[in-house]
Amino acid sequence: MDVLIEILKRLDDRSLGVAACVCRLWCALTRNDALWEHLCFRHLSPPPEGVRTVVVALGGYRRLYTVCVKPVLSRLGKMRVGGAAATELERRVWTRHEVELSLSLFCVDYYERVLLGGGGGSGGGGGRFGGESGSPPSSLMFLCKAVNV
Amino acid sequence: MKRDRDRGKAEAAVSGGTTSVGKAKMLAEQKQPDAGMDELFAVLGYKVKSSDMADVAEKLEQLEMAMGTTMEDGVSVLSTDTVHYNPSDLSGWVESMLSELSNSCSFEGMIPSQIGISGESSCSRPGQQDGGKIIYDDDLRAIPGGAIFSNNLKDVVDDSESGNKRMRASAGSEFLENGSPMAMAAEAARPVVLVDSQETGVRLVHTLMACAEAVQQENMKLADALVKHVGLLAVSQVGAMRKVATYFAEALARKIYKIYPQDSLESSYSDVLQMHFYETAPYLKFAHFTANQAILEAIAGATRVHVIDFSLKQGMQWPALMQALALRAGGPPAFRLTGIGPPQPDDTDALQEVGWKLAQLAETIGVEFEFRGFVANSLADLDANMLDIRPSNVETVAVNSVFELHRLLARPGAINKVLNSIKAMNPKIVTVVEQEANHNGDVFLDRFNEALHYYSTMFDSLESSGLTPANSHDLVMTEVYLGRQICDVVAYDGPERVERHETLAQWRGRMHSAGFDPVHLGSNAFKQASMLLALFAGGDGYRVEENDGCLMLGWHTRPLITTSAWRLAAAE
Repeated sequence: MDVLIEILKRLDDRSLGVAACVCRLWCALTRNDALWEHLCFRHLSPPPEGVRTVVVALGGYRRLYTVCVKPVLSRLGKMRVGGAAATELERRVWTRHEVELSLSLFCVDYYERVLLGGGGGSGGGGGRFGGESGSPPSSLMFLCKAVNV
Repeated sequence: MKRDRDRGKAEAAVSGGTTSVGKAKMLAEQKQPDAGMDELFAVLGYKVKSSDMADVAEKLEQLEMAMGTTMEDGVSVLSTDTVHYNPSDLSGWVESMLSELSNSCSFEGMIPSQIGISGESSCSRPGQQDGGKIIYDDDLRAIPGGAIFSNNLKDVVDDSESGNKRMRASAGSEFLENGSPMAMAAEAARPVVLVDSQETGVRLVHTLMACAEAVQQENMKLADALVKHVGLLAVSQVGAMRKVATYFAEALARKIYKIYPQDSLESSYSDVLQMHFYETAPYLKFAHFTANQAILEAIAGATRVHVIDFSLKQGMQWPALMQALALRAGGPPAFRLTGIGPPQPDDTDALQEVGWKLAQLAETIGVEFEFRGFVANSLADLDANMLDIRPSNVETVAVNSVFELHRLLARPGAINKVLNSIKAMNPKIVTVVEQEANHNGDVFLDRFNEALHYYSTMFDSLESSGLTPANSHDLVMTEVYLGRQICDVVAYDGPERVERHETLAQWRGRMHSAGFDPVHLGSNAFKQASMLLALFAGGDGYRVEENDGCLMLGWHTRPLITTSAWRLAAAE
C-alpha cells in the first residue's frame, strides 16, 4: 500500500486520473488529498505556512489543482515556452505570483460556488476535468476554455 | 442565414436595379447643380433636391410607418424579406418599385401583417428566392420621378464615401445648411442596404452620428427618421456592430421621444447584471485584483484593518483579499468591512446577506471578521462619523470605490462632500476604479461620439474574447448591463444621468484639488494583472498599461478601465 502511494506520488495529473479508473481501491487512493498537495507543490520551495489549512477549508488540493493550478500552469506555461508538451507541465516551477493568483482564484471559486450558490455558474465547463470535481462556477469558466494555441 | 439570403436577393436585384438606371436616366430630369442638393443627404450617399423633398418625405414617412409596425423580435419582417437595392440608386429603386407595381397584387402570398396599414396593401412576388418581396403601391406612385435622381452611381457612392470619411474625421457640423430637413430624413428611412455589409457598416456609423447631430440641433423630425434608419441598417450587421448600433439607436430614440424610465430598475437586478459582467469580461476582475493589491501593500503590518466599500453588491472583491490576508506572513489582521449599498425595494437586507456569506468565508479560512452594512441612496448622504471610524493607531482604514464616484457628478457639490468625508475617515489608502472615458461633457454630440467609440470597443472585446459561446445567457446579460449604461449616457440628462464617466486625467485633477496624493500601484499589481489577463482565453486583445502609477486595462489600443490609488496629501 505504501509502495503504491509512493508510486502514485510520482505520477502526473493525467496518469493519476487514469489510475483512478483501475479499480475502486485505486480510485479511493488517488482521491487522497495529500497526493494532490504533493502534485501542486512538489517543485515549489515549501509553501507558506497556513496554506494547507486554507486550501483544505476551501475545497482541498485536488480541487485546487483541477480548477486553478492546472489551467494557470498550462496556460501561462504555453505562453512562456510557446507550446510545450503536456509532459512539461509537471516539471515547471511555480512562481510566487502564480501561486498567489491561483489561491486567490480558488478562494473566489469557493465563495461563488458554496456561498453564492453558483447563481449563474452551472455551465458545462467542468467536462474537461472529467466531471469528478463538478463544474466550476462561472467566474472561473475562463480557466476551462482552451487557449487558441 | 438571413444575411446570405438577403445578399443573394440583393445581388439578384441589383442587376435588376442597374438596368433600371438606364430607364431612370431617361426619365430623370436634367441634373441640377449641387447647390440644390441637400448636404446631409449627400453624406448618406443620396442626391436629392431639397425643393422636392417635402412631398417625397411625407409619402415615405407613411411607408416607413408601415415597416415600423411589423416588428418581430425587434427586427422588421420587412427588412429581412425585402429585396434590397443599392441605396444610392434612388431612381433605380423607385423605378423598379414602380415597374413592379404594375405587376402588383396579382400574385398570391400576401403577408397578413402588412394589410390594413392606412389603406396600403402589399404583395409578394414569386420568382425571388424564399421570402418574397414586399412593395408599396400607392405611396410610391405619388413620388415624382424627377424629384429623386442619382448621378452616376459609382461616383455618388465613391464621393459620398470619401466625403463621409472626411466628415467622420472632423465630426463637425457642417450639415444642415438648408432648411427642410424633415424631407430628407424620411427619405433616408428606407429599407435599403446589404449590397455590401462593410459599406453598410460605414453608413450605419454615419447615420448614427448624423442622428446625434440632429438631436444636438434639436431637429427631432430628422433625428426621428434617421434613428429608424439606423435600426434598419443595424439588422444587416452581425456581431458587436449590430448590438452597439441597436443600443445606441434605442438610446437615441429615448432621447428623441423623451421616454424616461418611470423608476430606476431594482438595484438587485442591476447587481445581477453586474455579476454577469463580472463573469464574462476581465474588467471587473482586473479592478478587484489591482485594488486589492494596493490595499494589501498599504496595510502591510497592520493588525486591524477596516475597509469601507462604497458599493458592496455581491462582495466579489473581498474573498480574494481575505485569502491573501489569511496567508499573510505573520498571520491575518482582524478584518472589518463596512459595505454600502442602495435601498432594496423589497425591504430585504441584501447587505447583511452578503456580509453573512463573507463572514462564513472568513471563518473557513481563519480570518477574524466583522461586518457592517449601510443603506444609502447616495454616498453623499453618508458622514464619516456614521461609519464608526476608530483611531488610526488602532485600526488602518482603506476606502474602496468601484464605479461609484462618477455617479456623484450628477448632483452639484456631491463629489466634494464625499471626498471630504473620505478625508475625515483618515484612510491609509483610497482605491478608485473608474471607466476610462469622458462621458460627462456638456455637449451632447461629444458625449455621443465618445460613448460610441468606448462601447464599440467594449462590445468588440466581449465578442472577440471567445469566452462564452455566442449568445449565451451571461453574454446577453452583460450586453444588457452595458446597454443600460449607453442609455444613461445618451438619453438622460440632469440628475437622471448618473453614468458620468470621466478620464483619469480628470479624476487626477479632482483628487489633487481635494487634497489627495497619488499612490503608485507597484509591479506586483502589474504582474498579477498581466497574469490574470493572460489566463483569459482569447486574451491577446487585452492590454494592461501603466500610466504614471495607475493601471489601465484596455482592448488593443483603447484603455477602458483604470485603477488608481490615493492617500491624504502630506500636511504642509
